[in-house]
Amino acid sequence: MAIITRRRALQLGAAGATALAAAERAAAQSRIPAADVPAPNLPIESGATLRMLRPVRFVQPDEEVFRANAAKFTQATGVQVRIDFVGWEDINQQTAVTANTGAGPDLIMGFSDAPHIYADKLIEVTDIAEYLGRKYGGWLPLARKYGIRHGTQNWIGLPFGASSGPLVYRKSAMTEVGFQRAPDDHAGFLDLCRKLKAANKPAGFALGNAVGDGNGFANWLVWSHGGYLVDEDGKVAINSRETVAALNYLRELYPTFVPGTIAWGDISNNRAYSASECWLTANGVSLYFSLKNDPATRPIAEDSEHQLLPKGVLTQHPMSGLTLNAMVFRHSRFPNAARAFLAFMMEAEQYDPWLIANLGYWAQPLAAYKDSAVWTSDPKVAIFRDSMNNEFWNGYKGPISEASGQANAEYVMVQMCASVASGQATPEAAAREAERRARRIFRR
Amino acid sequence: MSDAASLTTAPVPQASNAATAQPETMSWDSRSRRMVVLWLPLACFVIILLFPFYWMAITAFKPNAELYDYKTYNPFLIGSPTLAHIRLLLFETSYPRWLTTTMTVAVASTFLSLFASTLAAYAIQRLRFRGSQYVGLAIYLAYLVPPSILFIPLATMVFQLGLFDTPFALILTYPTFLIPFCTWLLIGYFKSIPYELEECALIDGATRVQILTKITLPLAVPGLISAGIFSFTLSWNEFIYALAFIQSSEKKTVPVAILTELVTGDVYQWGALMAGSLLGSLPVAIFYSFFVDYYVSSLTGAVKE
Repeated sequence: MAIITRRRALQLGAAGATALAAAERAAAQSRIPAADVPAPNLPIESGATLRMLRPVRFVQPDEEVFRANAAKFTQATGVQVRIDFVGWEDINQQTAVTANTGAGPDLIMGFSDAPHIYADKLIEVTDIAEYLGRKYGGWLPLARKYGIRHGTQNWIGLPFGASSGPLVYRKSAMTEVGFQRAPDDHAGFLDLCRKLKAANKPAGFALGNAVGDGNGFANWLVWSHGGYLVDEDGKVAINSRETVAALNYLRELYPTFVPGTIAWGDISNNRAYSASECWLTANGVSLYFSLKNDPATRPIAEDSEHQLLPKGVLTQHPMSGLTLNAMVFRHSRFPNAARAFLAFMMEAEQYDPWLIANLGYWAQPLAAYKDSAVWTSDPKVAIFRDSMNNEFWNGYKGPISEASGQANAEYVMVQMCASVASGQATPEAAAREAERRARRIFRR
Repeated sequence: MSDAASLTTAPVPQASNAATAQPETMSWDSRSRRMVVLWLPLACFVIILLFPFYWMAITAFKPNAELYDYKTYNPFLIGSPTLAHIRLLLFETSYPRWLTTTMTVAVASTFLSLFASTLAAYAIQRLRFRGSQYVGLAIYLAYLVPPSILFIPLATMVFQLGLFDTPFALILTYPTFLIPFCTWLLIGYFKSIPYELEECALIDGATRVQILTKITLPLAVPGLISAGIFSFTLSWNEFIYALAFIQSSEKKTVPVAILTELVTGDVYQWGALMAGSLLGSLPVAIFYSFFVDYYVSSLTGAVKE
């Protein structure tokens, strides 16, 4: 049953209650610093009910604790909350239908740039965002970027967490070729990949149309050389000396990869890594946990380590994160209840148990939650703690907009890299083609 | 082998002894010729058609370790079969419920579409009112509009009618692509039924409705079954409307629900996904097998004059 009534809240299912209790026990070990800040006055509308859509869980306790937290909100306020979960690939269509028809759920937790695409259909959440920011040590840079509408100080989305894709590698292979960790400079990283290839334990990074892994690798390649798709004003800047340098580097790097990476989707590196065909790749924490949870592949998990993507010519690790971003629609008849619900879910009593239940799959957008017990639960996931503490986003360095979302969805950066890796285009020609495509997209 | 060569080598059938004769092979035919022109292409065809089902079936029973490691395990065989994926699908998800919902929606929209298409096809083909040909063409053009363009306008209508997130949202929208298809299929079928039969009935004093129910429809059963099978299969497999109009987890149809439930981020439960697809395709296969004779006859020709 998905509707949480008062009675339902009191009769919370055993599984959800157990998961919540376990997460709350762990949360008791967290010391989340919270400032004494008055909550915004949001008088809840009489007879309010809420309906929310969010992407499906990574792990079962994610859903159970999220529902249990919603039940606590029902207990506290009397507002019934219905939460439905949809597939990751499907949330965009559901959001498009909701935004264009002006009916449906009051709240949707979409991904990253969704609130910026439907900004005109949304209610601002500035009041609760500012309250939460002041109370919990401030919003991390990626959260601010995805939450605030470009050129304003108005919050249109409320980020709930992000998942990043650092390097994941087999420690034994790294040691075998004489490295303790992946070097942060391009030359060193290339040397590592060549040696792994020579040892028949090659690296592999997605160059196919893979939403997470493909964009993640292509973005890293260009960003780490100092390039970017558009500048701060949204002007296309991909055809640059830095981009050509990045693509020349790729020409040297690509032959060290396991064969077939040009056709890789998001799941391909998971399979190749699990089958010990690929020994160094970039992925979210899901790969580690899927290896750890299967007795047959547990030794691979024990031999695996995570590391942030190499910095290249920059001083920071150039990587972004897939961000859960909640939005409240204008058509909601209960905007106060909706905002009160979001604020309630982000309070430490609810948010920290949820963060812990997610085992590190999602990382916090608010600075204070860095002290959550989840980051000491498994040393191999600690690296994900700072997923939102970075300055890179999809469409960097430009404003987040429909166009930046489209450039991402059309794999402009990925296909530029793939065309060079496959030998179909020279770096200069590929950069020119990417510029042409980007200009068409950003023309509006 | 050439025809001339086969003529000289083929055994002459013994007409007098029917029990020992080889009635399947003509005089110009031979075993090797049949192998090349019949059995070999047929085998290729069957392998291509059945391989996806084979792959689904073996994936549904393979442990994860075998699924991922093609070097150690033969990808076409199962080393140690497991029922873990089936158990996950049937007992840890709401699969039976999704199956029931899908069946209800598919059956209801199929009947609704058949009813509407029969009336439409009969009117266009037999009543021959002014502009009937253009109406037929317009219905066909409606079929050409892709669902990816239609789903947002349809969603607006579904909301305004208060049907959003109910099975009726699908039962009433699936006919938007089923009716044009079935109507065209039935127009063709009705065309093959001799008009003289209806004229005789008219002379005997039958009304149009009586002609339709007592003369035309009994003769058109193979065509109706053929249209029904198409409608049922299209409804069963439909994805985008089911995704857009249904948001509650428990009301989803199989194609959408298995993706929601069994794909978490970039982790795909391949075994359970394939088990879900395999079990989901069985009702269609069973439904089809009952009516395959009618289906074939509707495609190969209708009533002989």
